[in-house]
Order: sequence, then C-alpha cells, then structure tokens
Amino acid sequence: MNSPLVLVVDDDPDILDAICDILEAEGYRVSRARHGREALDQIDGERPDVILLDLMMPVMDGVAFAQALRLRPAVRDIPIVVISADGNPQRAASVGAIGYLAKPFDIEALLAQVAGITRPGAGAAPPRG
Amino acid sequence: MRKVARLATVNSQVRCESLNVMEPLDSRGVNPGPGQGPSVRSGEARGGHLGFVAHEIRNPLSTALWTAELLARMSMEERGGARGEKLSAMCLRSVARVRQLIEDHFLSERLDIGGLPLRVEAIGVKEAVEAVIERRPSDAGPASSSQLDASLGVEADRTLLERAVESLVAVAGSERTPVVVTARATEREVELSFAGRPVDAAALEDPLKGAPSDPTGRALAMPLARRIATALGGALAAGEGGWRLTLPRARAYTARPTSAARP
Repeated sequence: MNSPLVLVVDDDPDILDAICDILEAEGYRVSRARHGREALDQIDGERPDVILLDLMMPVMDGVAFAQALRLRPAVRDIPIVVISADGNPQRAASVGAIGYLAKPFDIEALLAQVAGITRPGAGAAPPRG
Repeated sequence: MRKVARLATVNSQVRCESLNVMEPLDSRGVNPGPGQGPSVRSGEARGGHLGFVAHEIRNPLSTALWTAELLARMSMEERGGARGEKLSAMCLRSVARVRQLIEDHFLSERLDIGGLPLRVEAIGVKEAVEAVIERRPSDAGPASSSQLDASLGVEADRTLLERAVESLVAVAGSERTPVVVTARATEREVELSFAGRPVDAAALEDPLKGAPSDPTGRALAMPLARRIATALGGALAAGEGGWRLTLPRARAYTARPTSAARP
C-alpha cells in the first residue's frame, strides 16, 4: 500500500524543499507546486491525501486555489492545512481549511497535523512507508 | 574637504521630470521628514508595511530553523552526506536572506527616524560602483561599469552610497540579468543609471502586506535605495532605461590614481 501523498504548495523554493525533505524523511510521498495553478495541475495527475497550502502566492493565490478546488466534485473534499507567514488564522477558515500552521512552525507540529489527517487516531506517528 | 553632517540637516528634495530640476520639498509646502515617502505617512500604511516585513522574514526564518533542527538530529556521518550538505546550504542561504532583510529594514528605519550620522565626502562614482560590483556573489549575473567616467564625483556618505548602488545593482540584475551602470552629469548633479531588468516604478514604494514575496531576500532593496537617495540630498526615479539615482555633484573631486599610473 502506498504511503499517504502530501501536496505542498508554496512559492518560496526553500520552504518547498524543506517541507518536502521533512515529510519524505518521515516516509510520506510528496508532490510540490509553486502556486495554485500548478497545484490544480498536480491534483489532476494524482489525488493527494492532504494539501499544505500557502496563501500569498503569484499566478494563483491560496484563496483562489481553494475556491477552484471546491468546484471540482472529485477533489473538493481533500483536506487543506494552511501554512502561512501572515499570522492571521482567520484567513485559513476563509478557505475552508481544517488546520493552520503559522510560520515558523515546529517540525513536530507539522508532522502531527499531517499524521492526524492521513492516519486518524495515530497521533503524530509517522507512516514510514 | 570632508564634512560631517547629520541626517536631520539634509535638505530633502523631490525628483522632477527632467534632470537637474530638483525642487526643495519645503518650497512645495511639503515636509514629510528625511527619507519618508508617501507610503509611510499613515499609520495604516505603516502597519501594512511592517506586516509585509514580518512576512518576508518569517519565510527564510522558517527554513533556517527547520534545516538547523534537521541537521542537529543527524549524525556526523549523515551531515557529511548529500542530504546534510543540501540542508546546510539551505540553512546558510536562509540565514543570509534573514540577515539581508533585517539590515535593509533597520537601516530604512534609521533613515526614517533621522539622526543617523553621515560622513559626506567627495567620492568617485566609478570607484564606488566598481567596489560594489567586485563584492557581488560569484553566482550573480554580470555587471558593467566600464562606461563610467573616472573623473566624476558625488558628495555622499560612502557607506550609504555603496548600499544604494548595491541595492540597485541587485534589483536591476536579479535572475542573473546583465546590468550596465552609466552616468551623466550636469554642473550640479550626477545621474547614475542602472539598466537591467524592466523597471517597475511601483517598486519604489514601501511594499505592503499581501505584496508578492522576493525569494532572494531583496524585497526591501528599492525602498532602502530611495531613502538613501533622499538622505544624501538626491533622488531615485524609474526611467525608461533603468533606475536613475541622482546625487549632488562633487565639484572638487580628483580621481584617485590607478595602480598602473602610480610611479
């Protein structure tokens, strides 16, 4: 059985690299996108189990992405966790996210959020393959 | 002759449409204070700008913290491997971004508040630009100052002048775009032009929360250069051919002899 797939959407290339490294080291599969438009293309390829979404991005921001996602019946229920440096949790609620992580968040907080969604009841225990 | 001035005494000026037409702000009934542009006048804009700065710093700070933590969890052997080297490079790059943003932000703040000691002297523009270009990172794109006249000087504080030139070269030369620095002079002014990436005049304003990030950490470079230009009694403007930095001309400047010309 495949490990859970996490789609990471952020316009900062170092943030993308770091989060993907953290998740891969814990056994998750990851896909990455630099903005909402790329993320929609990624989702067309393979449905992720959870989306980690930045809000402020060029081309298509996080809010517009979430709105576009909700219009697609096959993928509208994919859980979103907002990862943002804007310090405004209310914006996460506005895109229907089930979680919010304010940068700079702890690695353990990230893993707990992702594990809680992809492995309900398993807490922060990583999938490790 | 060297002069020591304080920023509060620098005469603020605004850039007019053509070169050599600079009008003191006081004569227009406007006196916003040293280095202050329209975007920092209201509390709302000020808050929006500080929100942007915080956002810009949090992104590389996040990467720096995460990669440092991941490296700390590794064994010595793992740190020397490919992943360790990648994380080390990311950590250093991120810390450098944070440092650049903090330095740009706090210098801008000091210029806004006033009272920053200035050491004004006659400085050769070619010499100053070349010093900046020599310090450019090896992976930055090419920059040329070959068209500059070595006998042309400006009255400026060397540190601030080089910070402004460095900022302008970095912005004009982002994404490895070749930069060409040229100059022209009138009796009273020297105008330095930085041609490279297409110019967006909006970049002169303080970016507000929600504005696009700069993954290189230079999001505050243009507002800083604008403040420096004002503090030095000059101006920064967007021109068709590039960014234009206008500064008071040094009348008594004598170019330093080159090493080849020395006995």
